[in-house]
Amino acid sequence: MAETPKAAERIALFERMLLVRRFEEEVLRVAQAHAYVGRQHLHIGHEATGAAVASVLGPEDLFHTTHRNHGYLIARGADPGRALAEIMGRKDGLNSGRGGPWHLCDRAAGFQSTSAMVGGSVGLAVGAGFGLKKQGKTAIGVAHFGDGTLDEGICFESFNLASILQLPVLFLCENNAKEGQRPSSMLAARALRDLPAALQIETVVVDGRDADAVRDAAADAVAFIRAGKGPVFLQAQLERWPGSHQTRPEFPTGVTDLTLAWDRDRISGTHADWIRDHDGILLYAAKLVAEKAVSRDDILAVDGRVTSRIQAARAFAEDSPFPDAASAADGVFA
Amino acid sequence: MTVKTYAEAVVDALSGMFRADPNFHAIGRGILGHGGHERHAHALMKEFGHRFTDPPTAEGATASMGIGAAMSGCRMFVHFGTASFSLEAWNQLINEAGVAHSMSGGQIRVPVVFHMYHGLRGGGSGQHSTSPQGMMANNAGLIVMQPTSPRDVKGMLRAALKCDNPVVWIDHSALLGRTGEVPDEDYEIPLGSAEVKRAGTDVTIVATSRAVLWALDAAEILAKDGISAEVVDPRTLVPLDENTILTSIRKTGRLVTVDEAIQTCSFGSEIAALAAEKAHDALKAPVARLARAATPVPFSPPLEKAIAPSPESIAIAARRLMN
Ligand SMILES: Cc1ncc(C[n+]2csc(CCOP(=O)(O)OP(=O)(O)O)c2C)c(N)n1
Ligand SMILES: [Mg+2]
Repeated sequence: MAETPKAAERIALFERMLLVRRFEEEVLRVAQAHAYVGRQHLHIGHEATGAAVASVLGPEDLFHTTHRNHGYLIARGADPGRALAEIMGRKDGLNSGRGGPWHLCDRAAGFQSTSAMVGGSVGLAVGAGFGLKKQGKTAIGVAHFGDGTLDEGICFESFNLASILQLPVLFLCENNAKEGQRPSSMLAARALRDLPAALQIETVVVDGRDADAVRDAAADAVAFIRAGKGPVFLQAQLERWPGSHQTRPEFPTGVTDLTLAWDRDRISGTHADWIRDHDGILLYAAKLVAEKAVSRDDILAVDGRVTSRIQAARAFAEDSPFPDAASAADGVFA
Repeated sequence: MTVKTYAEAVVDALSGMFRADPNFHAIGRGILGHGGHERHAHALMKEFGHRFTDPPTAEGATASMGIGAAMSGCRMFVHFGTASFSLEAWNQLINEAGVAHSMSGGQIRVPVVFHMYHGLRGGGSGQHSTSPQGMMANNAGLIVMQPTSPRDVKGMLRAALKCDNPVVWIDHSALLGRTGEVPDEDYEIPLGSAEVKRAGTDVTIVATSRAVLWALDAAEILAKDGISAEVVDPRTLVPLDENTILTSIRKTGRLVTVDEAIQTCSFGSEIAALAAEKAHDALKAPVARLARAATPVPFSPPLEKAIAPSPESIAIAARRLMN
């Protein structure tokens, strides 16, 4: 187990997760203001997991993510303005407007392609691990994916390859399935981890709402992988955010109000349960304050910083023009 | 006759088949997409939900299950959702369904209809916009159909469901809301028959799937210029009704092909080759091919718009052939 990190590190982790939350809320506002942004797969409710894993990775570690990618891009340091511009299809977007919300990619922040084909990230991250190992590097490949991804045959094939070749790969599975609810969780296995475990892959299950727990589990997993001991399957248990299946952009749990972290009696509404028990942001804020690691004012000061960064990001994205239509077929080959 | 939407006509054909054949089964959900037409599928699910199997996200195994069940004596309908997802089952479609009858010396039959939505959809970007009709047609043993009107889809889907061969139905969600007269009785439109959707004398436009809608709009634009365009819809890509297409080309002497797929090795190119081979003497001008630009589909709305043919670009191409 890692030592308890200093307050400064924990507040930095909190800032990272809150940046993702405020970013995703801005994506919803953008979607409300512009009809064309398409369907969103937000990382709301997953931030504690995403930011905690990102906090233990090095800049050389190569990450593959999915349709639900925004949180990882932002948590690993991609510029929020350029990320938002991409989601809006603008010229200054991370992918020059060619990828859109399901495919945010920033090589400089350690991302190699973002595939929205379910299972895409799993196979590609095994390739990253293979390539890094062949090049004699200590960096690792990371595959982020959801529980539903285990439905696809490529997971079996990729786990097997990573296991027999002892590749440096972290399989990061976000389990946001509700029992019996589509589209995830149609697996006959008793537990998700049973699949990689059968292929002799080390497995760990962690409470994905708890940023400290995820950070510690991820740090241990990454150390194991870097030591050349083979791949690890890290499963984060999450409760699906009530807005995750919407076709029209709405805020079913409201715009996050951080004062609810200590003013819990004010939590109300249809989704009060989710806000009280499953919002990793509020849970971490409450924990940091309760343990006196930081003050309420510190939390609100972080929010102020984060919110103004996101406002600047929105302004940047709005100012960015659409790409020139004459360039539509450019850049197909390297 | 009743005026119906394309989506309602699809439900007509499927419910007729469910009623007629207890060994007809469907795999997949969301067969009418997730927009405003979904409610028609709900009615179908209410009556025949027990005949639908909701699969995990496992396109390869799902396709194989449909193929194997069809070989065993069922008739099957396999829905992939977005055509891009069907590429996960490429092996099953091409190496299993397509070859089984011939490779077994005629012993095996594969009565499956594979259904998928192709093409540009607004924000589909590089992984949700595939138009695989050319790729699919470039294989032996698969029937490929793309009906475009409510009347056609009911008759052709019924024919496909009764067919003893695998049929790949490459659909477009932009067609679901099209309305038109649909006969109330049961009827089949044979696979392999094209139809002239608008008669004309100056130029033939051969278009498939959603491109038929663009071609019909282009014909309106051209009519205002005094150019009479004939729009031919092959409806089935494999087998192809060469006769109807060649008759039209012989009549007008000019050919524009329109395809939502990329041009290289496309269905539009196939029609152009047909004209060069069998109607060369009748052509008064070079053939014009319109297709999607050869790029992974860019997300940004103005870029996505720029890569596709349009009524305007078809009209421009046709006008050029008149000079
Ligand atoms: C190959 C393929 N099949 C189907 C889909 C449609 N699809 C998009 S997201 C999704 C569910 C993914 O679930 P999960 O992996 O648990 O991720 P979550 O959205 O819950 O984060 C599906 C089936 C797809 N994108 N790719
Ligand atoms: Mg999931």
